[in-house]
Amino acid sequence: MKKKFVSIILAAALTGTLLAGCGGSGTDNSAASQPAAEEAPAESDAAEETPAAEDAPAEEASGEEAAASSTEGKNLPELTTEPLTINLWDIATEGSSKDIQEAAVQRFMADYPNITVNQVHQQNDNYKQQLIVAMSSGQAPDMYIHWGGGPMNEYYNSGFVNDITDMYNTYDHPDFIDAAVAQSSYDGKILAIPFGGLSGCDIFYNKTIFAEVGIEVPKTIDELEAACDKLVEAGYVPFSLANGSKWTGSMYFMYLVARHSGNDEFDAAYTQENGGTFTSDAFIWAGEKIQDWVKKGYFPEGVNSLSTDDGQDRALLYDNTCAMMLHGSWQTRSIQDDNADWYKENIGVFRFPEDSEAAAKGVPQNVEIGTAIGNGFSFNCWNEDGSVDQTKLDACYVLATQYYNDDTYNQEQLASTTIPSIKGFDQQIEDENMKVVAKVFFDASNVQLWYDQYLPASVTEVHKDCMTELFGLQKTPEEIGQAHDAAMQAALAE
Amino acid sequence: MVTRKGDNVALKNNTNGLAQAREKSTVKAAAVFLFPALFLIAVYMIYPIIDTFTTSAYSWNGISSDKIFIGMKNWKTLFTDMTFWSSFGHNVVVMVFSILLQIPIGMLLATFLDAGGRKFNLFKVIWFLPYLMSSVAIAFLFSYALATNGGIFSSIASMIKGGKVTVDLLGRNPHALFSVIGVMAWQFTPFYMVYFIAGYGNIDTSIYEAAVIDGATRGQYLRTIAIPLLGPIFKTACTMSLIGSLKYFDMIWNMTGGGPAGGTELMATYMYKLSFQQFNMGYGSCVAAGMFLLITFIALVFQKIFVVKEDY
Repeated sequence: MKKKFVSIILAAALTGTLLAGCGGSGTDNSAASQPAAEEAPAESDAAEETPAAEDAPAEEASGEEAAASSTEGKNLPELTTEPLTINLWDIATEGSSKDIQEAAVQRFMADYPNITVNQVHQQNDNYKQQLIVAMSSGQAPDMYIHWGGGPMNEYYNSGFVNDITDMYNTYDHPDFIDAAVAQSSYDGKILAIPFGGLSGCDIFYNKTIFAEVGIEVPKTIDELEAACDKLVEAGYVPFSLANGSKWTGSMYFMYLVARHSGNDEFDAAYTQENGGTFTSDAFIWAGEKIQDWVKKGYFPEGVNSLSTDDGQDRALLYDNTCAMMLHGSWQTRSIQDDNADWYKENIGVFRFPEDSEAAAKGVPQNVEIGTAIGNGFSFNCWNEDGSVDQTKLDACYVLATQYYNDDTYNQEQLASTTIPSIKGFDQQIEDENMKVVAKVFFDASNVQLWYDQYLPASVTEVHKDCMTELFGLQKTPEEIGQAHDAAMQAALAE
Repeated sequence: MVTRKGDNVALKNNTNGLAQAREKSTVKAAAVFLFPALFLIAVYMIYPIIDTFTTSAYSWNGISSDKIFIGMKNWKTLFTDMTFWSSFGHNVVVMVFSILLQIPIGMLLATFLDAGGRKFNLFKVIWFLPYLMSSVAIAFLFSYALATNGGIFSSIASMIKGGKVTVDLLGRNPHALFSVIGVMAWQFTPFYMVYFIAGYGNIDTSIYEAAVIDGATRGQYLRTIAIPLLGPIFKTACTMSLIGSLKYFDMIWNMTGGGPAGGTELMATYMYKLSFQQFNMGYGSCVAAGMFLLITFIALVFQKIFVVKEDY
């Protein structure tokens, strides 16, 4: 009897390990095998398509017939009438973004029935790793989402991004705001088409608590500190921060640096030239401010173990522990998803206060932090011999500029409180808080992309770890600057 | 005689032929049956190991077509890379505590269950449950349970003290590493429990009967006969725990991601970050190869010191 039981348990153990194995790597495997399976036919399609490129001029007449309402009368490349398959990777796994993006692809396929778009939704968590694996094994998609910055440059340098500067200058495209075009460019070349809408970074605050404690929206950092002191006195924690995610704490650091020195010191430190260093005045000042704020109790206890992925920072707003939260503007959507009534009643927003001392010295106070491209599509269309597969690239370009980013798409984006990075849309948003976010964004002299997207990947890791150590008071601002410098110099030397 | 001898020879030749034929067919059958396994091992284990070592001699971002051969440069970096060695140090701490926690507790539970017999079957099932959960699920479960806001420890502490108390287990060093070690023990102890239950089950009942006839009590039997007989199993369990904790990855990755500030960074998480997040596949492979060598070396030394014999 006992032996039987033991064998049952052992059998269970075996199944358990099998299950655990599936659970641990299940997402990897399924995600990896899925595109691989779907891409196999695509390869052959691409090969078949190559001669079609030469036929394209002959097909012009019929191509025009196929051209549909949303592209009519526009200066766009003629698309092939031969069968064509485009493999597209995005990270829209759920919610409204999934519906909006699938609808765009459906509109495109309805207008061009000969073109099939394989839209694969990847999990955001390990998307970047998936992409690297796909690229290194020759399975990379024809068009894929990314966040610009260091990784985009890396993909381009490795030959997985088509340079679309000429196409962008020749053909029609939405009137993207300058910051979005700048963040889609690298080395003077346009490498991506934005489609995710912009994300500002501002301070969301609880209006009810502000009224109760009797404080006004602060305009300067001194006023902000005075407000924080009042909040601490009243028993509130001023800022809700979940710094387990590290890039969340980085927002405070980036903004303090930007207010104290505009973009000058960061740009200099980025190149490490002409005395530029991460130990320069603004970085030390920002680091000291943060550590001073930590000591004064402006942040929740155990700040480094809270994770924003689990919404633990929002939770601290909801239970009235904290009064403010510096965060990306997508939080308006998240908070409304959690509780729309509570959001309307309590949540307001203001831009990061100004540094009056720096302003007196003439430092611009309208350098803002955020992303203007949100998400961009880069294209990866090549023939076997390494030349550009123009047929496919044309189709991708039309899909990204005319179906993503068309009126229907943009209206749907607005409805889910996302502002497209296209001129004029800041006027159309209805949500009061998003109006503020848009105004801050469009008034900016420069929008600095998040450091953790902008810096080279190896420096990003150092930066993020430094943010843990900064808020955990484990390292001085001086030491953190030196760590950044060392990583930056190593990255530049490569 | 001659004829007989000839007969014998003939007979012998005959059997030899048969034996040879049999041997041949056995070899064939063995080859047929072994091929799938050998093929899979070659493709999924031997080739990747060789490829890891070759890649470690290149400077490569993991996606670009130009791999630059740099010889031993990665290895030179590895020897002086403080992050790698501190990760290795964390691995060693995890290893020591895994062996000290998981195996004794697993053995205690097994002994308790073995002594208790069928009336404790419910405990068997309940105690085994953690091992059935996937590491990722456990990671999320405990990142909530250990959270400073609304986690189990913080809530209990707040209740006892009355008023909000924060117990920060994952956000500080060295607390984070030990919290993670605790979670690992929670996850893997059931495995060793089952392992030891199986060990107890393997002891011949006649030994127990003989001991009882000789007048041994249950306690005496356990102390002087059963537990010593578990010796070899104990050593195998230690080796498994040792290797497992040196290459551990999934739960830590999902729970702390190596943080805070590298406080729970293990060799495997460091390797993953280098290869897949920092576009440094060449050096990442070097770390993987270094891990392979270190783990093999430690396991061999361990085997040498505690000669594992499965001889009963």
